[in-house]
Amino acid sequence: MSLAKFLALDKLANFFTIIRQNGGIRGSLYKLYRQDELKDGKLVGEDKYGNKYYENPRFFYGRNRWVEYSDKVNMNYDGSQVPAEWFGWLHYKTDLPPHQDPSRPKYKWMADFTENLSGTTGQYVPYSTTRPKVEPWDPKSKSA
Amino acid sequence: MSLAKLFSVSSRVRATGASSLVLRHAQYSTPSDGGKTEMVYPPNLPGYKYVNAEDPNMSMKEMSNRAAQTLFWTELARGFAVTLAHIFKEPATINYPFEKGPLSPRFRGEHALRRYPSGEERCIACKLCEAICPAQAITIEAEERKDGSRRTTRYDIDMTKCIYCGFCQEACPVDAIVEGPNFEFSTETHEELLYNKEKLLSNGDKWESEIATNIRADHLYR
Amino acid sequence: MASLINVLLRKSKNFGQTVALTKNLPALYNVNSQRKAHRWMPDEEYVKQFEGAVMYPDEVTSLLKHPPYNGIITPGEKQVRNMVLNFGPQHPAAHGVLRLVLELDGETVRAADPHIGLLHRGTEKLIEYKTYTQALPYFDRLDYVSMMCNEQCYSLAVEKLLNIDIPLRAKYIRTLFAEITRILNHIMAVGTHALDVGALTPFFWLFEEREKMMEFYERVSGARMHAAYIRPGGVSLDMPLGLMDDIYEFAAKFAERLDEVEDVLTTNRIWVQRTKDIGVVTAQDALNYGFSGVMLRGSGIKWDLRKSQPYDAYHLVDFDVPIGTNGDCYDRYLCRVEEMRQSLRIIDQCLNQMPPGEIKTDDAKLTPPSREEMKTSMEALIHHFKLFTQGYQVPPGSTYTAVEAPKGEFGIYLVSDGGSKPYRCKIKAPGFAHLAALEKIGKNSMLADIVAIIGTLDVVFGEIDR
Repeated sequence: MSLAKFLALDKLANFFTIIRQNGGIRGSLYKLYRQDELKDGKLVGEDKYGNKYYENPRFFYGRNRWVEYSDKVNMNYDGSQVPAEWFGWLHYKTDLPPHQDPSRPKYKWMADFTENLSGTTGQYVPYSTTRPKVEPWDPKSKSA
Repeated sequence: MSLAKLFSVSSRVRATGASSLVLRHAQYSTPSDGGKTEMVYPPNLPGYKYVNAEDPNMSMKEMSNRAAQTLFWTELARGFAVTLAHIFKEPATINYPFEKGPLSPRFRGEHALRRYPSGEERCIACKLCEAICPAQAITIEAEERKDGSRRTTRYDIDMTKCIYCGFCQEACPVDAIVEGPNFEFSTETHEELLYNKEKLLSNGDKWESEIATNIRADHLYR
Repeated sequence: MASLINVLLRKSKNFGQTVALTKNLPALYNVNSQRKAHRWMPDEEYVKQFEGAVMYPDEVTSLLKHPPYNGIITPGEKQVRNMVLNFGPQHPAAHGVLRLVLELDGETVRAADPHIGLLHRGTEKLIEYKTYTQALPYFDRLDYVSMMCNEQCYSLAVEKLLNIDIPLRAKYIRTLFAEITRILNHIMAVGTHALDVGALTPFFWLFEEREKMMEFYERVSGARMHAAYIRPGGVSLDMPLGLMDDIYEFAAKFAERLDEVEDVLTTNRIWVQRTKDIGVVTAQDALNYGFSGVMLRGSGIKWDLRKSQPYDAYHLVDFDVPIGTNGDCYDRYLCRVEEMRQSLRIIDQCLNQMPPGEIKTDDAKLTPPSREEMKTSMEALIHHFKLFTQGYQVPPGSTYTAVEAPKGEFGIYLVSDGGSKPYRCKIKAPGFAHLAALEKIGKNSMLADIVAIIGTLDVVFGEIDR
């Protein structure tokens, strides 16, 4: 064990790295407020919605990959905002982030990702996809 | 093994030389030496093991040890020490919406209807999923389409009835209905969970990248 | 001289008088001291004003009368009843939806009457209308903390009716996951038992481990709890690569976690006082009440279906069955902890002995073909369609098949009439017999001990209410 480690200087160094990476004291306070936690890590990628994905193997398995949601959503971040491409990487299914994974299909009919819209105006409302089997009798149209 | 032996209710016949302190966790069964099993207490029948059968040792040393333990709270102190040690360990909790737990490619989550790479929907309305569904959550109606192919007009899944057993995706001969990886589809009302065909297809369009990767990852076992 | 004598005589006469005086001195003294001049003797009218029941009577209170000073008031008859207390279904220590009607005498429980049925889903009847394949997921939901053991029991029952044997690898996988399930269940049992009794910390440590095992479940089957993994004829999918390594790594570390829990609990005087000699079940009672599993073994009866009638791969692995002596909560706790350690042993052996090969029977009439086969072979596709619509026919007959589930003997009485759906499926849940004996075990114990007893019974309402 080196002397620096013995004196816990590495922890101090980590602390300053974390503060620097999260944008100084001001930025760190904002991130702490938004994410309840400050971590330093390697930026693995960014999806087209502005979510940034980080990795740091210093943390244990289960915490070593994380997402910082786009600044656009501010405090309205939600777990369902992670798009399908990054879902597997974030859930430790694969070590390949989507931009390094050529086997991922890209079809032109693939839809844009949407978050869980329940409770908003964009929410899914069920409807029947078939013609009703019983047509109601409309006397006016019949007589005409 | 005779029934009498199996039901041999423990009688407190103690062995003469059973005064040694037995380490409870380190002791595994040792084959007894012929015929004398019933005389010993605890009887060391192979395959069975008594967890709390020893009477406390009554030698002066052991008794004073026990008295000291009672007097000086040693067992409580040890318990507190173990608890205290856990305070300094890294917490096992994850910061959920930012960090997520591991999932496998087999995960059975929200349903989705897939398409062929050409964009044509896969489902041919064979209704195997409807037949196998134990909760009868799937409703399918089918018609012939203008181009002569058989397609569904109605494909409803009541997600509140569904028990997520995965039988539908096992039944599907064309890999059309799958249980995708998504589990974050909670809603505020019941109605929103009555999925129809359009919703399922749009799920498939959104999640195709992950669904296809999962199927490929698991193809060895399927 | 004469005058002297005269004086003497006179004095002696006086002496005689004084003797009489001194003899009567107490009387004289008392008479003299009872003048009571120091005491105030109130006059009559003064006393009269206090004669009423209150000091300043008005028109109502003046009507009140003092009870006679020597009057004997016969006490009226009172109805005295023991307090009846509803324990649950919302009580957190009731382990789910147990409603327990307790008759309390002070803090002593005179009668404990468990009410069941709040989680009744009609599983047994439901299964009669499902094919053998469709009935399987319902077994996960019976005892929902030991999912795969229930599936295993059902699968064994169906296999017995079909008279088929399964590949060795499938047997080992089943055994492996049955033992993981046993740890899963005992973690829940010990953790919540300690929680009910007041030790919160072990619960958190144990649930961290439980989470890891749920991940194994998820990796092998796709669901963290309701796996639907063990099927009649084998298991549904092979284990993914790397899973066995991770299970080994987990099993190697889990014993340490158990040691920590034991450090905190086993010798802890509070825990010992709360569990030792609480909820004592004699061996005779345990048999008479139809106990099984730890409840039976805690009372000192050597009975374990894994030993006495081994199923799957249990005859191939070496393990000990922990037996208690006193039949109290403490012994049952020790049994559970020891069972977890033995499960680790079995897991270790399963991992080491895991043979390569098939994971389900190759009978195309019973198990669906692999997806590749199904997509390339017409015959396999037809079998696939038959199996997923009609299911498979099971020859007529009946079987009672039981496994040693973590809670005890989980049995299924399955009657087949030759069709593809069971004619009758009776589920024997171990928890039912244990809960039924609560009246017997809990009688005359303290209210707080009822909580400890419920904890040690390890009741789960999924299987009791079915």
